[in-house]
Amino acid sequence: MIEFGPENLRIPKFARPVYIVAGGLTDFRKRYPEKTSEELVAEAMNMAVLENDLLVGMEELKRRVNFCVYSQFADHFGDQLLAATKMHDALGLDPLGNFEIKTGGATGGSAVLAGAMAVASGYADLVPVIGWERMDEVPTRQGNAYIASAACKNFESELGWMYASYYALMAQRYQHEHKVPRETLARIAVKNHLYACFSPYSQSPMRLTVKEVLSNAIVSDPLSFLECCVMSTGAAVLLLASEEMAHRLTRFPIKLTAICSGTHTLRTADRRNMPVLRLPHEPEELYSQYPHDWPGFSSFLATRMAAYLAFNMAGIRDPLEDLDLLETHDAFTISDIQSYEDLGLRPYGRGREFIESGEAYYEGRLPTNLSGGLIGTMHAVGATGIFQIAEVFWQLQGKWAQFHADPKLWRRFGKKKPRDFRDLQVKNARRGAAVSHAGTGSHVTVAVLEKE
Amino acid sequence: MARLSSRGVRLHKKGLELLQPEPRVVKIAKDYFHIHTYGGFTPFFAGLLKKKLMATRCANRACKEKRLFLPPRPHCPDCLLPMKWVAAPLEGTIYTHTTILYPGAPFKLTTPCPLISVELPGVCTRMMSYLKRGTPYIGMKVRAVFNTAKPTHSILDLAFEPVEPA
Repeated sequence: MIEFGPENLRIPKFARPVYIVAGGLTDFRKRYPEKTSEELVAEAMNMAVLENDLLVGMEELKRRVNFCVYSQFADHFGDQLLAATKMHDALGLDPLGNFEIKTGGATGGSAVLAGAMAVASGYADLVPVIGWERMDEVPTRQGNAYIASAACKNFESELGWMYASYYALMAQRYQHEHKVPRETLARIAVKNHLYACFSPYSQSPMRLTVKEVLSNAIVSDPLSFLECCVMSTGAAVLLLASEEMAHRLTRFPIKLTAICSGTHTLRTADRRNMPVLRLPHEPEELYSQYPHDWPGFSSFLATRMAAYLAFNMAGIRDPLEDLDLLETHDAFTISDIQSYEDLGLRPYGRGREFIESGEAYYEGRLPTNLSGGLIGTMHAVGATGIFQIAEVFWQLQGKWAQFHADPKLWRRFGKKKPRDFRDLQVKNARRGAAVSHAGTGSHVTVAVLEKE
Repeated sequence: MARLSSRGVRLHKKGLELLQPEPRVVKIAKDYFHIHTYGGFTPFFAGLLKKKLMATRCANRACKEKRLFLPPRPHCPDCLLPMKWVAAPLEGTIYTHTTILYPGAPFKLTTPCPLISVELPGVCTRMMSYLKRGTPYIGMKVRAVFNTAKPTHSILDLAFEPVEPA
């Protein structure tokens, strides 16, 4: 798709509003032999239902469920087809309808989109969206090969069997065009590993310096290990509800004002240039002289497409002005910079400024990945997009501390709350967004949540 | 007629092994293969053996996309009509590159291995490949080379080398 037809850019509408009433997580670990996937999913569901101050208990809540959406990226990893059926049974939700969504790294976001469609259309009033990934059955190098099975098997997978390399190709091109200091990229890794220190769920909490990131071993140049997301096992759950159901279940519902998706070619190779799709706050002249390929290898058309639809749907004019917090899919430091531009936080080529200005930090203008993100906290792929939205949901409810600061929660996961623990609740947060992202930008969803 | 009476069922331990007792963790070994078809991409992979880079161009005159596609496509992604096979130029420039140090398990090339994306004249896409010798940089002139001696019948039979100054 190069030229948009008049209907291609139609702004999606929900026939009725969609609310989030609860979120639940497990902790995330590189290896989690203590629990089966069914146990992890049950644990996340228990947290969602029992620890979100809902007005009903598990039995009553289950009596109100109409439909379920399951979210798992790769059957390869769990080595179990129809795994969602086992989860559904483990949660005691048979014979209610369900389906399993798969869009690579964006599976979680797409699953929430599917659940939102069910609620918005009137098909269902209460939809649990349940995601997990079990990435610990194979050695890391085989895990990377499984992930690279999400590249083209005819023309690309054999060239590395490694997604970090496919992102490194984009990184080199981006650096050629826009010359971001390596220090700026490293700062993203430092930030997200640091915020992971304040999350009981996190897999890779680290207090690092820029120098340590820069002197870390290279996976595929220029990306170092510390600039790449973790590979995790764990689960995440969200409960989506219609307006009436939401108010029957909680006093603190958060509205899902938009969730929209965009796509682009699986092979980066196949991207053809086109004019920049402008967001509501970007004037026409901004890109009339843009000297580089667009989207080229430096931008994600799928992210721009999803942002265009979601921001218009949610009535966001300028994301930097109108959002109070953001969760990006920081699979790699470079893709985070690229995404800042696709989301319109800075014009194309100037994404680095979002980090360098301090705006992306806690108490900055738009705190980003306070959860620790994929670099610091987790990337149990099927759970990731759900985890991100759960974190934004709790922030908007003003309940960040309830789900991060309680020493009992740390002990539950066999951890000790750090002495220098920082409260990362964003004061008066009203509106937040979360980006779920697959492939080298093959699928992206952008969700906007709002406190009414 | 099938013999239905069993003289006792025996158990083979093949591929199953206890790794740790608590929690109980077992190893399940796998050993199998896939029979994969290149289908309509066959002219491309056959072309590699003849030292040709076979690309496709839309045969529909009304279609706006006149350039070559490489990786090729049996059907035009714009108008969905069948495409024509055309030999693409063998020389181009490096659009971007990375040197891979830690590849995934099935990787068949030695490391460090420079991966490249190549821009070829008249081609609207930028194919991924690897640089067989030399240190890559953006803008480097490169030429396709083909592994025809012991072909793998995979994309690894195509690589690029720097075009030496005359």
